[in-house]
Amino acid sequence: MAGIIGYGVYIPKFRIEQKDVAIPWGSWSPGEKSVCGADEDVVTMAAEAASNAMRHAAIDPEQIGAIYFGTASSPYIEQYVSPIIGEILGVRPETTRIDYLGSLNSLGNAVLGCLDAIAAKRIKYGLVLGGEDRATAPGTEGDANFGAGAVAMVIGTTGTIADIDGMDTYATLFMDRWRSTKDSWVSNQADYRFDREYGYQTHVAGACKGLLEKLGKKAQDYTYAVFAQPDERIPSLPAKELGIQKGQLAPGLASVVGDLGSCSAFISLANILDKAKPDETILFASYGSGASNAMSLTVRSQIERKRKNLTPLEKYINRKQNITYISYLRLKEHLKRGPY
Amino acid sequence: MKGKVAVIGVGMIKFGELFDKSLENMIQEAYLNCLKNVQKGIDPKEIKAAWFGQWSGGFIGQGAQGGQSLASMIGNLDLSCSRIENACPTGGDTFRNACLGVASGVFDVVLALGAEKMRDKPSAESLGGAGGGGGAETGNHPSWMMGQGGPAIQAMHATRQMHQLGYTMEDFARVAVKNHHNGSLCPYAHYQFDITVERVLNSPVICWPLHLFDCCPQTDGAAAAIVCRADLAKKYTDKPVYVWGSHTGLDHNQLWDRSSFVSQPSVVRAAKGAFEMAGIKPQDVDFAELHDCFTNTELMDIEDVGFARSGEAAKKLKDGEYDMHGKLPINPSGGLKAHGHPIAATGLGQIFEVVTQLREEADKRQVKLKNGIGLQQNVGGPAFGAAVVNILSRSR
Amino acid sequence: MTQPVPASPMFWRFNTEVHRLVGIKCQDCGHISYPRTKICHECGSQNLKEYKLPHKGTIHTFCVNWAPPPQFEPPILPVIVDLEGGGRYGGIMTECGSPDEIKIGIKVEMVFRRMLTDRGLNVYGYKFRLAEEG
Repeated sequence: MAGIIGYGVYIPKFRIEQKDVAIPWGSWSPGEKSVCGADEDVVTMAAEAASNAMRHAAIDPEQIGAIYFGTASSPYIEQYVSPIIGEILGVRPETTRIDYLGSLNSLGNAVLGCLDAIAAKRIKYGLVLGGEDRATAPGTEGDANFGAGAVAMVIGTTGTIADIDGMDTYATLFMDRWRSTKDSWVSNQADYRFDREYGYQTHVAGACKGLLEKLGKKAQDYTYAVFAQPDERIPSLPAKELGIQKGQLAPGLASVVGDLGSCSAFISLANILDKAKPDETILFASYGSGASNAMSLTVRSQIERKRKNLTPLEKYINRKQNITYISYLRLKEHLKRGPY
Repeated sequence: MKGKVAVIGVGMIKFGELFDKSLENMIQEAYLNCLKNVQKGIDPKEIKAAWFGQWSGGFIGQGAQGGQSLASMIGNLDLSCSRIENACPTGGDTFRNACLGVASGVFDVVLALGAEKMRDKPSAESLGGAGGGGGAETGNHPSWMMGQGGPAIQAMHATRQMHQLGYTMEDFARVAVKNHHNGSLCPYAHYQFDITVERVLNSPVICWPLHLFDCCPQTDGAAAAIVCRADLAKKYTDKPVYVWGSHTGLDHNQLWDRSSFVSQPSVVRAAKGAFEMAGIKPQDVDFAELHDCFTNTELMDIEDVGFARSGEAAKKLKDGEYDMHGKLPINPSGGLKAHGHPIAATGLGQIFEVVTQLREEADKRQVKLKNGIGLQQNVGGPAFGAAVVNILSRSR
Repeated sequence: MTQPVPASPMFWRFNTEVHRLVGIKCQDCGHISYPRTKICHECGSQNLKEYKLPHKGTIHTFCVNWAPPPQFEPPILPVIVDLEGGGRYGGIMTECGSPDEIKIGIKVEMVFRRMLTDRGLNVYGYKFRLAEEG
């Protein structure tokens, strides 16, 4: 059975209060979010997450059979970034490098791709990683909410700290977030209530139900429920539908580090795994663009043995420096110095 | 080299921001001044070979000028010429190659000329061009050059000099004060005004711990020397100046290969070679023109050439030893700080000064001569891994 | 039409050195040269072994550059770092709130960052940041 052998996360040091971004435009948003430094992007963030994951997993780069990079904010429309990760680690040319792009379910799909390759026995170990630092337009809700971060997981069948007992997907045609080649920013939600019920809730609950039925399990039996967190209240919607209790839900992160897009469910998963005990179980679902990938995980005893090599999410959350809105405008390039 | 080569003429133009002079015009003016400087006169056609120093082609917008440029510019198409480039030591190394051309016995009379047009671009851009990070035009990956460049590299030395040798920013500032005073007496200097330690320390910080007034300016200029066989010198002048030693010393290209940041091994090697050739020791030298691209660099140069032990130069400076009328005058011309640093012309400008001093024609800035021996030194390069030392004497 | 430098053969040649910091250690004199090379820079020996630069070290010297080239926002903090286990590397600091945080002898670690962008292509490499305790 395939599972997570090791993982790592990264959150940038810089933080801003979401209200400082919203209030100048007559709006409001709770909590804080992380902001990429001037020299950071999804590649640099994922590189540090990958370094943490490789140390935690204790495998050699030559053992990696494939690298799957999932993001909705690649610096390139054409040109993969997974080869850069491959070069940093020093993997063999035979190692596949694939980017999953263009959706907030990109990282979820990257995991799916990895699991398929392992099941097909094409590879033994895969590195699945992703970062998010989405482009925003000034004065919009995304500009106040979207945070930055990265996560990496080594997936394989030996030495797992958490087994993936099953995975299921649920998808329809649903437009809630998009960015065309004409736009230099991600769209903002025009109809939050429609999007959250018919988008997020329908697909997350749908994927979980399909998975639970396949496995013959009940949502209430899981120790934890980890869902994508575009905001801190939305996971309670599918939770209610599935009969999940509040105590099972993973802690809120969207008001600490912001909406981390396709990374958000996985950063939340890392947060749980940082403290999880053997035999505990996790019901997981990612969400993006009308698709949700649900997973069922069981924590193994290796998790405690390997914890000494782990850099927990908490360490990155506590490492922070708040910035002003002016600095934020410059970092996001909403404000640029005149060229001449 | 010793006893084989003599300098019979030197020439230069005033260094400065010469917006109305082109590279060609500066070269021609310096060349003509040099010809005029040959006391008994010289037919230009006697000069059969030349070495042309220019540090930068494309970086600072002056256009790439190859070795061929000189012949046409001075109207001497029978000239045999090569271009010399060796970072900041270009001028001194151009002189060295010219001397080698004569010492080899192949040529009797040769010309060494260096010129640099730096101010056709704003100072910040030419400063950045002088090694500033990010430019992959150097064949290096940008991550190895980030934010570096002359000021940053010497500033990193200065930090270490402060940490390891106990030097202070006041010590560095005193170099600028001395050199500005000397420059105020030199008609060729870029800056001809006195300054104080306060003014240095209150000037904007360019690269901590170096202030604006710790840094030499971006300068335009050209300088030349005519060199001939020692046994023919008296035909051209009653006051020939002889070349006793001339050596280029090198070191690593990458900063992190360097062994020390309070000493420049390239200078140590150049000095050692030149002193050996000349058969003399540092204490035999009457005065020196050293490479103070930054004030702290002069202190290192003094120690590396062998005039003081490591960590001693600052105190000796404070005690006045290196003043124009001190025990060992350093940079009577005003140094790079006040006289200016048109990179390839600098070394030859220093040769001009050494020769003028040895002929006792330096007017208000004349230093006292004991042995009649002067020394010229440059250092530079991506990791300050190139240096040149020339030792000149009024005796053969 | 010009080729963005990151797409050039030079950059491709340096892939291993830039992404994995591979240099050499001379088996005769012990000098560590980076990037990889075929002759020891210090002693001229060819008896060399590949050596990956350690990622952690202490600051040997630094300066605070308030006048970097036009494409950089000042101040920039260039550093020379003595690496833990041998070797030296130079680079710039990142994530420094103020130049006062930097002193000779403090611990730093390498992080992978974007250096610059040339006509849309990113150039990545390693910078230094202050190392955390523990």
